Amino acid sequence: MTLSIWRYAHLALAIISSFFLFILAATGVILSVDAVTEKYPNYQVENFDTINLAQALPALRKVYPEIIELRVDHNKFVRIDAQDIDGNSVKGYIDPLTGKLLGPEIIKSPFIQWTTALHRSLFLKETGRVMMGVASFILCLISISGVVLIAKRQQGIRNFFVKINRDFFAQYFHVVAGRLLLIPTLLLAVTGTYLVLMHVDVFDLESKELVIANDATEESIAIAEFKIFQETKLSDVEKIEFPFMEDDPEEFFRLTLKTRDLTVHQLTGAIVAEERLAKAVMLEKLTLDLHTGRSNILLAIILGFASLNILFFIYSGFVITWKRSRTKIRNKHKAQHAEVILLVGSENGSTLFFANCVHKQLLAHGISSYITQMNQFSAFPKAQKMLVFTSTFGLGTAPSNADKFHDLLAKHPANQPIEYAVVGFGSKSYADYCSFAFQVNSLFAAQSWATEFIPVHTVNDKSVDEFTQWIHQWSEKSLIPLSTAAASYQAKLPPLHTFKVLEKTATSADNTTFKIVLESTSKKKFQSGDLLAIYPANDFKERLYSIGANDGKIQLMVKLYTDGLGSSFLYKLQPNDCIKARILVNKDFHMPQAAAQVAMIANGTGIAPFLGMIASNKSQTAIRLFAGFRYNNSLIKEYGAFAASARQQGKLESLELAFSREENPQYVMDLIAANERYFIDLLSNQGVIMVCGSLLMLRDVEKALNRLTEQHLGRPLSYYSERQQLLTDCY
Amino acid sequence: MKKFLKVAGLLIAGTLFASTSFAQSTKYKCMLQMTSYKGEKAYVVISLIKPNGTYEKTLAVLGDDKQWYNTLKEWYKFQTKTKEKVAAVTGASIGGGDRAIRMLDIDASKINAGYKLRFESAVEEQKYFTSEVEIPLTTAGLAEKADGKDYIRTVKIIKAL
Repeated sequence: MTLSIWRYAHLALAIISSFFLFILAATGVILSVDAVTEKYPNYQVENFDTINLAQALPALRKVYPEIIELRVDHNKFVRIDAQDIDGNSVKGYIDPLTGKLLGPEIIKSPFIQWTTALHRSLFLKETGRVMMGVASFILCLISISGVVLIAKRQQGIRNFFVKINRDFFAQYFHVVAGRLLLIPTLLLAVTGTYLVLMHVDVFDLESKELVIANDATEESIAIAEFKIFQETKLSDVEKIEFPFMEDDPEEFFRLTLKTRDLTVHQLTGAIVAEERLAKAVMLEKLTLDLHTGRSNILLAIILGFASLNILFFIYSGFVITWKRSRTKIRNKHKAQHAEVILLVGSENGSTLFFANCVHKQLLAHGISSYITQMNQFSAFPKAQKMLVFTSTFGLGTAPSNADKFHDLLAKHPANQPIEYAVVGFGSKSYADYCSFAFQVNSLFAAQSWATEFIPVHTVNDKSVDEFTQWIHQWSEKSLIPLSTAAASYQAKLPPLHTFKVLEKTATSADNTTFKIVLESTSKKKFQSGDLLAIYPANDFKERLYSIGANDGKIQLMVKLYTDGLGSSFLYKLQPNDCIKARILVNKDFHMPQAAAQVAMIANGTGIAPFLGMIASNKSQTAIRLFAGFRYNNSLIKEYGAFAASARQQGKLESLELAFSREENPQYVMDLIAANERYFIDLLSNQGVIMVCGSLLMLRDVEKALNRLTEQHLGRPLSYYSERQQLLTDCY
Repeated sequence: MKKFLKVAGLLIAGTLFASTSFAQSTKYKCMLQMTSYKGEKAYVVISLIKPNGTYEKTLAVLGDDKQWYNTLKEWYKFQTKTKEKVAAVTGASIGGGDRAIRMLDIDASKINAGYKLRFESAVEEQKYFTSEVEIPLTTAGLAEKADGKDYIRTVKIIKAL
C-alpha cells in the first residue's frame, strides 16, 4: 500500500509538471552546451591567480587612458570597457598585464538569449518564473519520491546500489539513470527552486551591510602603491569601476569583490567604505554557479547530462505507466462461481499480461475463469483449480499487489479440494530468482485443501518459450487445450488478414470431418504447423486450427460438431466467401530441417499439418506417418490415395493406420508398440517425433514412448523432448 | 564580402552627404548613480531628443534582454517604427544603488541647438518614467549635475579625453 502511495505521488507529480519539465530540460541541455562552449576560446592568461591590482591597473591605464570598468567573469576572463589612446572605445577581453586585446566582447547569440528566457520564464516574465519555480520544486519532490521508490524496490537504502531487476528497457534505465543522476537532478531542482525564490524576493533580504565608513585624509600616492591594490588579487575581483573623473577626490574606485564591495579613494588609496555582501547574496551566487555549472566545466557537463536525462525520464516514465496499465482485466464470471482462479502478483504488468492471455483462452473455451490480484485472495467456493502467476519484487519478496497473500491464504481456507500450479516470472541474473513463486508454492503445499497439480515452473526474462513449456504441461494434464504457439503470448498480435475460401468438402453420414482450403489475399507467408486463429463470433473468442500448407494455400481439416462454435462457422462458409483471421507462427511445430528421420503421429484432424509437411517434403526426409481414426471411411481412402502418390514421389516412407471403432480396434499406441525398434533407432539417431491431435492421445503416446525409452535407451522421454526430438501440438 | 559591401556602402553614403552634413561627433562620458530602490534591475535608455520633442537617436541602452524593451513604452514605439540598430550601444541593466558609466557619441552640431538628452527608465513590475531625467544639450546644461525622480539619483556628464 505504501509503495503505491509513493508510486502514485511520483506519477501524479510527473504528469502535472511534465510539460514544464520538458521545456526546462530541453532548454537546459542547450544552455549547458553553451556553458561548456563559452569557455572556448580561452582568454584566461597564465598565472592569472597571482596577479594583483597594483600590477594590473597602472599597466592598463598606460594603454587605456580612459577606463570605465574592468570585469572578471566566472571563466577568469578579464573584460575591459575603455577608450584607447586614439579615442576608440574598446570592449573586449584583454591581458590584464599588457592590455593586449585578446578577443571581442562575447555577446550571447539571440538564440541563447531566447533559450535562456524560455528556460527562466517561458517568456511570461514574472508569472512564467513562478511557474518554472513550481515545476522545479515539483522536480525536487519527484526526485525524493523516486529515491523512496528505489529504496523500496531494493529493500532498503542499504541495497540502494545493488543490481536492478531488468524487466524491460524503459523500466531498467529509468531506475538505473535515476540512481546515477539522482544527485545532479536534485541539485538542479533545489538550486532552480531557490533561484526563483530569491528572484521573486520571497526572503526580502538586505543585500549588503556597511562595515566601515572612513574618511581619513592621507597623502596622495601612485595607485601602484595602494595597499589594498597590492593585497587584492585579480581573481577575487568581479568588477572594478574606475573614477568618473580623475583627480576628483569625490570620485572613487569601486571594487566589487567576491565577498565585499570596497570604495577606494582614488588619490590616497584609503578604503573609504566597505560593504560586506549578505550571506544570502553569496549563497545566491553559489547557487547560480551550481545551477548553471558556469564556473566548472565538469559540472556543466554533468548537469547537461542530467538535463538530457530528465527528457529521458519523461519518456521512459510514461512508457512504464503505459505498459503497466495496458493489460486490461475483464472478468465475465463472479468470484463465487468461478472454477478456475488465476492469481496474479505483478509489479510492472508483464506477468499480468501472461496470466491474462491464459484467462482469455479459458473464457473462450467456456470455462468459468476468474483473474485477480493475489492481494484480493478470498473465499472461492466453486474453485477447483488455482493458477498463480507471480513475479518477485526487489530482493526476493512479494510484488506490491501480493504482499498480503501470506495472511489472506491462511484467512480463507477452502472447503473443497483445489489443485494449484505456480508459475514464477523473474530473471536469472538475480540471486533470488523467482523466490517468491517458490514461497507461494510451499504456502499452498502447507494447506490441507490444496494439492500440487504440476510443480512450480519458472520463466526467465519473460521467455515465451519457457512459458509455453508450462502451457504444454498444464494443458496435457488438465486436458484443457491452451495455445502453445509463442505468438499467442506476445504483446503484439500478428495482424488480421483476409482469407478467401477456395474449396470446402461436405460431410457425409459416416464422415463428420471436412476439408476447407483458404487463400490469403495478402500473400502472407506461413508453413505447415502454424496456426490459423479465427474469430467466429467476431469477439474475443478465438479458435485455432493447425495449418497444412499446400501450394501456398491453407488446408484445414475440421471435425464438425453441431454445437461447435468454430467448426460450424467454418462449415457454413461457401467458396469465395472471405473471413478475417490471423496466422500465428508456431515455430516449435515446424518440419525439422536437420533431422534425417521424422515420425509423425496424429489422430483425427491432427493429420492436417502432416499432410502439408509431406506434400512439401522436397528434401525427401524419411517420414513415416502413424494415424489413428474411428472409422475407415471415405476420407481415409483419400488419405490413402494421397499417401500412395507421396510415396511414389519419395516424400513419404509409409502410412500406418489404426481404427478404434472397426473390427480389431487399434490405437496409435498399438502402432508404436508394433514399431518399437523403429522408434528406438529414430530417437538414438537424432530423429524427431511429431505429435498432433487430442491431448488425451498425446498423454497416452508419451506414456508409450516413455516406456520405450526407459526400457531400451535408459533415459526418460523428457530427455529427448528437451532436445527438441519430440514436438507436439495438441488440443 | 558582406563587410566589404557594408564598407563600400558607407563610403558611397559618406561621399554623397559629405557636403551637406559633415558631422563631427564628440564623446561624452555619462555617469548614472541609482538610488537604492528595491526590486529588479532597471532598464534605462538614453536618447537624443529633437527640439520638437521627438526621438532623434538612441545613444545608450542599459539592459540587454529584448523581452523587457516594451516596458520602456515611448522609446519602444520609436524603436519598433525605425528599427534602429542599438546592439553597439547596448549593455547590462543597472540595479538599485549601482553606478554605470557609458560613453555617448553626440554630434557636435546638436550642441546648443535645442536638443535634449532623455533618460527613460522602467523597472519590472514597478514604475515607468518616460523621462526620468532630461538634460538640455547646452554647454551649461551638460556641466550641471542632474537629479532623477525615483530610480536615478544623479546624472553627471563630462567630455571624454
